[in-house]
Amino acid sequence: MDKLLELENLHVSFQTYGGEVKAVRGVSFTLEKGESLAIVGESGSGKSVTSKAVMRLLPNKIGSIKEGSIRFEGKDLAKATEREMEKIRGSEISMIFQDPMTSLNPTMTIGKQIMEGLRKHQNMNKSEAKERSINLLKLVGIPNPELRVDEYPHQFSGGMRQRVVIAIALACNPKVLIADEPTTALDVTIQAQILDLMRDLQDKTGTAIILITHDLGVVANLAQRVAVMYGGMIVETGTADEIFYKPKHPYTWGLLASMPKINSDSKELLAIPGTPPDLMNPPKGCPFAARCPHAMEVCIDHMPDATDVSSTHKAACWLLDERAPKVEPPEAAVVGGAR
Amino acid sequence: MAVVEREKLLEVKNLKKYFPAGKKGVLQAVDGVSFDIYKGETLGLVGESGCGKSTTGRTIIRLYDATDGEVFYEGEDVHNKKSRSELKKFNRKMQMIFQDPYASLNPRMTVKDIIAEGIDIHGLAKTTKERNERVYELLETVGLNREHANRYPHEFSGGQRQRIGIARALAVDPDFIIADEPISALDVSIQAQVVNLMMELQKERGLTYLFIAHDLSMVKHISDRVGVMYLGNIVELTTSDELYEEPLHPYTQALLSAIPVPDPELERSRERIILEGDVPSPINPPSGCRFRTRCPHAMDVCAAVKPKWQEAREGHWVACHLYDEEAVKQNN
Ligand SMILES: Nc1ncnc2c1ncn2[C@@H]1O[C@H](COP(=O)(O)OP(=O)(O)OP(=O)(O)O)[C@@H](O)[C@H]1O
Ligand SMILES: Nc1ncnc2c1ncn2[C@@H]1O[C@H](COP(=O)(O)OP(=O)(O)O)[C@@H](O)[C@H]1O
Ligand code: SF4
Ligand code: SF4
Ligand SMILES: [Mg+2]
Ligand SMILES: [Mg+2]
Repeated sequence: MDKLLELENLHVSFQTYGGEVKAVRGVSFTLEKGESLAIVGESGSGKSVTSKAVMRLLPNKIGSIKEGSIRFEGKDLAKATEREMEKIRGSEISMIFQDPMTSLNPTMTIGKQIMEGLRKHQNMNKSEAKERSINLLKLVGIPNPELRVDEYPHQFSGGMRQRVVIAIALACNPKVLIADEPTTALDVTIQAQILDLMRDLQDKTGTAIILITHDLGVVANLAQRVAVMYGGMIVETGTADEIFYKPKHPYTWGLLASMPKINSDSKELLAIPGTPPDLMNPPKGCPFAARCPHAMEVCIDHMPDATDVSSTHKAACWLLDERAPKVEPPEAAVVGGAR
Repeated sequence: MAVVEREKLLEVKNLKKYFPAGKKGVLQAVDGVSFDIYKGETLGLVGESGCGKSTTGRTIIRLYDATDGEVFYEGEDVHNKKSRSELKKFNRKMQMIFQDPYASLNPRMTVKDIIAEGIDIHGLAKTTKERNERVYELLETVGLNREHANRYPHEFSGGQRQRIGIARALAVDPDFIIADEPISALDVSIQAQVVNLMMELQKERGLTYLFIAHDLSMVKHISDRVGVMYLGNIVELTTSDELYEEPLHPYTQALLSAIPVPDPELERSRERIILEGDVPSPINPPSGCRFRTRCPHAMDVCAAVKPKWQEAREGHWVACHLYDEEAVKQNN
C-alpha cells in the first residue's frame, strides 16, 4: 500500500478572546494513493479545520497547529514554509469548497481562472494553457467548452460553477483532492451529476479524494473508507462497509439511527439528545460521554484509546474494552436489513 | 390504508404568485397549484430550490398577496377577508416556522418576549403572571426550561433556537402550522430531535402541518402525503408510501433516484436516472410541460400542451401526458 498522506496526532487551536478553542484534538489518519476517504461528523466537529490544516490555510495569527505532523510523500507539511506550501497548494494537493460562487472570481473569465494554476505550476504558455482549459471543461461535462471558456461565472448555473471549480482543482493533476461539502449547496439532481462526475474523474485520473460531508448518503455513494469525527477527534474509522454495516461507536450508531432512510418505513427516528461539546472546555474523557446512552463512569474522566476491531477498522470507545458490558447497536442504526 | 371521510382543513385552488422581474418579465414563482390538506395530517412539499415551495407557503399564510386563486380555511375564503378582526382570527389559527433559526428570532428580544408576542397581540393573557406561566409551559413543551426565558437568542444552539421558534408558533394555540424547512439548517442528530418534537406535538394537539423541505427522506418520514413541485407547479401528489414505491411523474422518479442512501452496497448496485442540465428560469418557463427540457420521456405533445392535473389512481394525482390517453393518442 502506498501512503500518500499521513496525519499523526494533529492538534489545532484557535485563540479567541473567550479563550483557546481546541478545534482538532489528536487526529490521525492515512490516505492511500487513489483512494477516497470520507470524513463525516456534525458541524463544528473539526472536519474543515483538519483539511485547512493540511493545506496550511488556517487563519493567520489566531489559528495554529499545536502538535502533530502531516506527512505528504515523506515531507511534514506542518513544518513547511509558506513558499513550500505555495508550490504544493493547487498543484499537488487541491481543495474545493462548499460554495462554488465564493471560490470563483466574478470578474475573471472561467478560462483565465483555470489557466492561472496551469501557468503558475506547469509553466505552460498561454495557448497551451487555454487548450488544456477547454479540455478540462470538456472533462467535467460543460457543453460547448470552446465558447464557455470565455464566459464569466455569473453566466453559469450553480451546478456548472461547481463543475468549473472541480476543473480548476484538477487542472494540475493533483495527487490529493480535498472536497469540503462539495455538493451541500446543490440540489439533489445536481448533486447526483456532481457525484457521478467525481467518481468518473477518480477512475480516470487516480486522484485520491478526501471528502468532507455530513451526509451519510453521499459517503455511501463515494467513499471507500470513512473517518467519523466528533468533538475534534476521530472516534471511528473503517472501510465504508465496516462503518455502515458493523459500526462500533455509539456516536456512529446515533448518526445512522437519527437519519431517516428513504428505503425503509420505520416511523421512529432515534435522536441523539443534547448538543456537541464546547471545544473551549472540551471534556476530559470521551467527547461523546454527555450524550451517550451507554456512558460508564470511566468514560467521564478517561479518554478511550482507539481499539482495533479489524486490520482496517478502529473505534475509540470503552465498550470495546473486555471489561465492558456487551451492548448492541439500536435497531434504527441497522443499515440495509440483515446482513 | 383506506382513508375514510377526512375533513378538509385547507383547500388551495389554482393558486398563483407572480413577482415582477425587470422591465419585460414576470417571474412565475407559483403558477396554479391546487391541493387540499386534511385535518390532523402532515402534507409534505418537496422540490429543488427555487421551485416555489416557500412562496406557496407564504402566499397561503398571506405573507404575500396571491396573484390569483383561492385559499379556503374550514370552508371560508381566507384571501378575501377584509375586516381586521376576521384577519386576526385567521392569523391565530395559522402559524409559520421558518428555516433559519438564526435570522428568524429578533436578537434584541428575550426568549420570553419572543414567545409571548402572539399572546400579547391576541390578548391571551390577562396578567403578567399568566403570561409568564404560559411562556414557561411552552418552553417545557418544546424541551427547554423556564430558566431560558430571560436569555437572548444568541445564547442558544441552532436546535434550541428552532425549539424557540416552535414555542412561538404554539403560543397562540394554532390548528395549522406551515413549517418552511424547519430543520434544513440543523445537524442530522439535531434534526431528528426537532422532527420527533413536531410529531409528538401533532399527536398531542391534533395539529395539521404543511411541511416544506428539499430533503425527500425526511419529508417521507414525517408526512402522510407528499406533493412534488417543479418550477412553480405541483407535478405529483399522493401518500408518502405510494410516492416512494410507485412514483408516476418522470421528475419524481429522477428525484427519488438521485437521493444517495446510506447503504454502500445499494449505492454500488443502484441504477440512477441522472437528469441533464438545470432547472430553467421561472421568468420564461418552457411551454407545455415545464419539465420537458429535462424529461427523458418528452414527446411532441409535451411542448404544445400543458399536462392536466389528474387523479391517475385513487388518491394519486399527477400532471404528465404519459398518464393521459388522449394526449398520447394525439401525440401519435
Ligand atoms: N476562525 C475560527 N475562529 C475560532 N474558532 C473557529 C474558527 N474556525 C473554526 N472554529 C471552531 O473550530 C471548530 C471546528 O470547526 P470546523 O469548521 O472544522 O467544523 P466542521 O466540522 O467543518 O463544521 P461545519 O460542518 O459546520 O463546517 C468549531 O468549534 C469552530 O467553532
Ligand atoms: N420576494 C421575491 N421577489 C422576487 N422573486 C422572488 C421572491 N421570493 C421568491 N422569488 C422567486 O420565486 C421563485 C420561488 O422561490 P421560493 O418559493 O423561495 O423557492 P423555494 O422555497 O422552493 O426554494 C424563485 O425563482 C425565487 O427567486
Ligand atoms: S467511551 Fe463511553 S461515553 Fe464514549 S462512546 Fe464509548 S461508551 Fe459512550
Ligand atoms: S408531460 Fe411529457 S415532458 Fe412532462 S413529464 Fe410527462 S412525459 Fe415528461
Ligand atoms: Mg465545515
Ligand atoms: Mg425556500
